Amino acid sequence: MAEATSDQLRVRLVTPERILFEADASAVELPSKTGYMEVLYGHAPLMAELGAGDVTIHQVADAAQAGKPTRYNVSWGFVEVLPNRVTILASDALKPGEIDLPRAEQQLDRGLNLWKQAGESVEAYDEALRVISEAEAKIASAGEADTSH
Amino acid sequence: MANVLDLRRRIRSVKNTRQITKAMKMVSAAKLRRAQERALSARPYARMIASVIESLRRRVDLYDEQTGNLSHPLFLTRPERRVLLIVISGDKGFAGAFNANILKIAYQFIQGNPDKEIDIEAVGRKGRDQLRRRYPTAGYTEQTDEHGATRSVRNPRQGKVELTGDHPGLLAHLDPKLIEEIALNIVSRYVHEEIDAAYIVYNEFKSVISQRLVVEKLLPLIEAGTPQIAGVVEPTSEEKERVAEAALSAGIELEAADTTEAEEEAKRFGTASVDYIYEQPAQELFAGLLPQYVFSVIFHAMTESVAAEHAARMTAMDSATNNASDMIDSLTLHMNRVRQAAITKEIIEIVSGAAAL
Repeated sequence: MAEATSDQLRVRLVTPERILFEADASAVELPSKTGYMEVLYGHAPLMAELGAGDVTIHQVADAAQAGKPTRYNVSWGFVEVLPNRVTILASDALKPGEIDLPRAEQQLDRGLNLWKQAGESVEAYDEALRVISEAEAKIASAGEADTSH
Repeated sequence: MANVLDLRRRIRSVKNTRQITKAMKMVSAAKLRRAQERALSARPYARMIASVIESLRRRVDLYDEQTGNLSHPLFLTRPERRVLLIVISGDKGFAGAFNANILKIAYQFIQGNPDKEIDIEAVGRKGRDQLRRRYPTAGYTEQTDEHGATRSVRNPRQGKVELTGDHPGLLAHLDPKLIEEIALNIVSRYVHEEIDAAYIVYNEFKSVISQRLVVEKLLPLIEAGTPQIAGVVEPTSEEKERVAEAALSAGIELEAADTTEAEEEAKRFGTASVDYIYEQPAQELFAGLLPQYVFSVIFHAMTESVAAEHAARMTAMDSATNNASDMIDSLTLHMNRVRQAAITKEIIEIVSGAAAL
């Protein structure tokens, strides 16, 4: 059974401040900039830019922990996937429970305002989009945290 | 000559001072330990960003095929006419020559470039206060363009050197979000050609006994992935000894914990010698990484500077405590002499009085 236990991904979640999470997992879901993707053991080497959303880490299929994935809300970053290793560099990462919902809603309002005021500027639109998607991801992830309890 | 009572009072006052400096030293030592930890745990991210950029650089064509120009604006080098200088000092005093040294380097930089226009971004309250007294602050006026959108336009310069921004209180928490904002602001100023280069002045902190003052070139990124040090001032061996002494008496390890293994691990990020699938075009990934790199350099500089500030304060307070102890010793000796002299005088008076009878 030594084979089976080695079929694990080494997942690391790194933020500017520290290494937030490091453990073995059987699968990881990632919010890439162009859409969600799931990485399993033996994935081809890949580099991707992350958008705003939830990283879901499906931990070792231990009877006690099965079905209890670890979730982090991340916004912006990069990920490197190697066959047995996933390293996530996130600009910001929060546990769903740590999300400040009123603040995320304020952020959404701010983003929508930016969107309205953007006028002709492409840059301003991009910035507004960034703020909006980050806020929406936060709100969605906090909402899920509520329902799961 | 002071009498015994006066001396006793002075000794008491110096003792009180010593108690305060001792407490400050212990507080700084505790804060230093925390800051050191934070600086250490911030390293993997910086290291990883740097190494992934390094490896992408080898794969991505930096030069545009059609025009032959560098493909990213952050790599463009222009003649340096307008320069941004980020000065990272401390928020509080009582740290020996820490703030003065940083400012000295900053002034040297300014005097060494008399023909350039220099914008200063001051981080840390102490440095900001000094610089604001010395140089004018840049003014901005709101302007409305034909579309009705308002934007602020910078007023004409009042001098070669101007203060464009300050961030007091930032160092107390080191919120990555706020620092990212600063980094993006600097990047956009560079891209819009408001500045032709950016330098950062800070106190590098490798471990308690290995620190130095550094002027690092932030932009343009000529060699992304490796720090571009423009000037360095090493502490004298005497200073190093002082710091080591203070650290030992406060129970702080001289050499930082061994992180070579983690560093090696971090260096490997994104550099495996396999062909990666790039989810986004490599160019795009690269463009997204560069501002993050600028951010990580600034963040790194700030975490190190905070640790260095606490180390400097600890050393200064250790010296103050030692000086207070010396002073108490010499005052006590003096007091005893005075008391002895008084007693001797009295005995002589009594004896000579008795002899006269």
